[in-house]
Amino acid sequence: MLAIDDIHVSYGRLRALKGISLTVAKGEIVCLIGPNGAGKSTTLAAVAGGVAATKGHIRLEGKDLAGTRPEAIARMGVSLVPEGRHVFGTLSVAENLRVGTYMRADRGAVAADIERVLAMFPRLRERIASPAGRLSGGEQQMLVIARALLTKPRLLLVDEPSLGLAPKIVDQVYEILLEARKQEGLTLLINEQSSHRILKHADRIYVIRNGHIQLAGAAADLADGEAIKRAYFGFGEAASSDANEEEDAA
Amino acid sequence: MIGFLQNLADALSLGSLYALAALGVGLLFGILRLVNFAHGDFISIGAYALIVPSFEVTAQLFIGTWNWSLMIPAVTLIVVIVALISDALVFRPLRRANAPTLMIASFAVSYVIQNGILMVYGARPKAANLWSGLDAPILLGDLRIPLLQVVTIGVTLALMALLTLFLKRTPYGVMMRAAAEDFRMAQYLGVRGNFVIGLAFAISGILATAVSLLYLSQTGTLGPTMGVPLALFAFVATVIGGMGSLLGAVVGGFLVGFIVIMLQAYLPEDLRVFRDAFAFTFVILILLFRPSGIVPTRAFIERV
Amino acid sequence: MAPVSKSTPHASMLRRYWPLAALCAILTVLVGVGSLIGSDQLQVTLTEMLIRLIVVVGIYTFIGNAGILSFGHIGFMCVGAYAAAWATVDPTWKQMMLTGLPDFLQQNQYGFLPAVAGAAVLAGLVALVIGAAIMRLSGIAGSIATFALLAIVNSVYSNWESVTAATSSIIGVPAVVGPWVAWMFAIGALVLAYVFQVSRFGLMLRASRDDEVAAKSSGVNVVRMRLIAFVVSAMIVGVAGALYAHFLGILTADTFYLSMTFVTLAMLVVGGVGSLFGAVAGVIVVTVIVEVLRHIEAGVPLGGITIQIPQGSQEIGLGIAMALILIFRPAGLTRGNEIAFPFGRAARRKRKAAAS
Repeated sequence: MLAIDDIHVSYGRLRALKGISLTVAKGEIVCLIGPNGAGKSTTLAAVAGGVAATKGHIRLEGKDLAGTRPEAIARMGVSLVPEGRHVFGTLSVAENLRVGTYMRADRGAVAADIERVLAMFPRLRERIASPAGRLSGGEQQMLVIARALLTKPRLLLVDEPSLGLAPKIVDQVYEILLEARKQEGLTLLINEQSSHRILKHADRIYVIRNGHIQLAGAAADLADGEAIKRAYFGFGEAASSDANEEEDAA
Repeated sequence: MIGFLQNLADALSLGSLYALAALGVGLLFGILRLVNFAHGDFISIGAYALIVPSFEVTAQLFIGTWNWSLMIPAVTLIVVIVALISDALVFRPLRRANAPTLMIASFAVSYVIQNGILMVYGARPKAANLWSGLDAPILLGDLRIPLLQVVTIGVTLALMALLTLFLKRTPYGVMMRAAAEDFRMAQYLGVRGNFVIGLAFAISGILATAVSLLYLSQTGTLGPTMGVPLALFAFVATVIGGMGSLLGAVVGGFLVGFIVIMLQAYLPEDLRVFRDAFAFTFVILILLFRPSGIVPTRAFIERV
Repeated sequence: MAPVSKSTPHASMLRRYWPLAALCAILTVLVGVGSLIGSDQLQVTLTEMLIRLIVVVGIYTFIGNAGILSFGHIGFMCVGAYAAAWATVDPTWKQMMLTGLPDFLQQNQYGFLPAVAGAAVLAGLVALVIGAAIMRLSGIAGSIATFALLAIVNSVYSNWESVTAATSSIIGVPAVVGPWVAWMFAIGALVLAYVFQVSRFGLMLRASRDDEVAAKSSGVNVVRMRLIAFVVSAMIVGVAGALYAHFLGILTADTFYLSMTFVTLAMLVVGGVGSLFGAVAGVIVVTVIVEVLRHIEAGVPLGGITIQIPQGSQEIGLGIAMALILIFRPAGLTRGNEIAFPFGRAARRKRKAAAS
């Protein structure tokens, strides 16, 4: 479904991605793991059209996305949930949910879909009329995921869904993502900083550090976590010469 | 007392013009971070669109002679087209530029439009008589309020209500507010960035047209830089109200109208001429001490 | 950054001041050739260009170092122009028209140089007072504040009847400024701007422009640095105002408002706000474009026909040129580079690279 082939991304002089290649097959859950600043967010933003790759190709079902605007990529069925809970703070919860539905062709199904999503997130129904900025962090995370689901994506990109959330809420978030995959045949590409929770759910895992892929494999093969730890921390290899690491902005 | 009420009516009608102009400026600032110098020139275009191109001192109305139900859409269309062209040619290629660069680019647009007007219509101010019937006063006891002031205030309130309805109740309005808050996120949700910005330019053009018609029928004079002072006071209003907040722009507009009229009325004679200097000093003070404006909100449009 | 190489102190001095020397040489050649072959019209154009160059160099001293776009500097030009005119205009006229002037100005007539000095001092003082407040602002807020400053100065000077003669102009300012006088001051402005830029203050400011947070945390007082740049730049622009008054011979406040702001900013943007070379190149290029357009506006015979473009084309051309630069070459023609040192190892390496 998604094929990323040797992409490079720079912010000014800073090289964030130095040749990332990965694939996601239809219906899969693929997880990118890596430390802060490794290039995970940049990878997702590049797929969604938020940053331009200086080199390499991103193909969605064979179609090269180079130069495609973010809104066009969204209309092709890719939805990004960026890190940091980007709710529209002054819009009500209901308005937030509707923003992503305006591009849909099946306008008639929207009302029912909103109903369904609200059934998944009862908290949102309670706060439906309040400005999204007044929600708690956990509620905002639910809102952005619900909002993304309402765009009817085929490929959902989720950037660090567990960041800054209580473990109980994280579990809830993952449950809903898995449920959505089951019901709608969703394909998922998820970023996480730590591996232990995602290992249960993911089909395949890539470990990314310093703008490179360090390790790739089926989740089942990596279940003991030793190989991931080595790739994550870079044990056993020469100290990296790439001093330029920076938190990548979406 | 009558004097004060008279001043109040003046302040409301002047404030209406500033509020409309400030809305046009604030809308673009909210979405694009663009401080649009050229807004004043959109206003000038609206006025010049009414007359026959010539260097004559007395303006000959052309579109201006049409029935208002035809004339208003025609003029609006012209201004909206100019606004859209300036977006397409200048601001669209500068989408990634920072706010000061956009500001300077709008300065260039303004300069080009002003000199374009000068090229077609000449530099001298022209007299034009639009809607002279509106000069008739309405008598409320001892209070004489020109009909035009009532119309100005009424049109302003109506436009504000329409804009609010648009932003609150229509899909495009919701998209526009979403884009004003987080442009990139809105794009990730499929909102067409350039379309929403174009829409904002178009609305800004409609608001500018309203200002040009009302202003022209008040003053009866056209000049290539006639819109500039209006735009300047609109900036003052948006800064006072809080940049990027539409409610703030409206409140700021009325407040500036109020301050200007009251300074004019109650300032000692020899200080009265420095009215504008006081207004702009106020801008600096606001930027220093209340950078988010005096209306305590950062929202694009406040809940009603 | 200049490459570090082993060389004698003299050679490194030369390398350090090469960009300045080169700019001064270019100006000198321009003025020399212009005044040798030039018609009266060319002398006038040349003088005006040099005065604008001083303005642009002054504005650059602030924008280029502090990184804040200023719309307000033409206000200082206004302040400087009036300050100098108050000093040099005939006392009998002043007593009649400018009744609000203090006695030492009203009763006396001063020479040109003291008037210019006074212009610099007054512009610097105004910048110090207002800058102390607004230099805390950066980005768009700073730009709007400088714009408000321009509007305030314009409003005060075009309405203060007893001091500026308001809308009736100040007349009889001795028109003593020609190309060579302007050239002298232009060289002075270049030297001042360059020395400031490579001084400790200039370097720290540039560092703060690139990363305000880092500069602050390393103990650099960004606001004070900006204020110093603001005052220095205001003084340069104030001097230019004084020269302009003594070039035109007549003064109206509206001369120093939006058009002048636009033209000078356009020059700086076209050349590139990042370098002194950009300031100079912008002035020269824009002047050439405007002069050519003005020439065609007047009609150019070509073969049997006369080519002519409508009045206003030069302004529109300038606006379009500026928009094009912003879109296609946002760092300006010079891309923020100074004139490179053409001798020595670095240059040779570069040439070799270009040849291969």
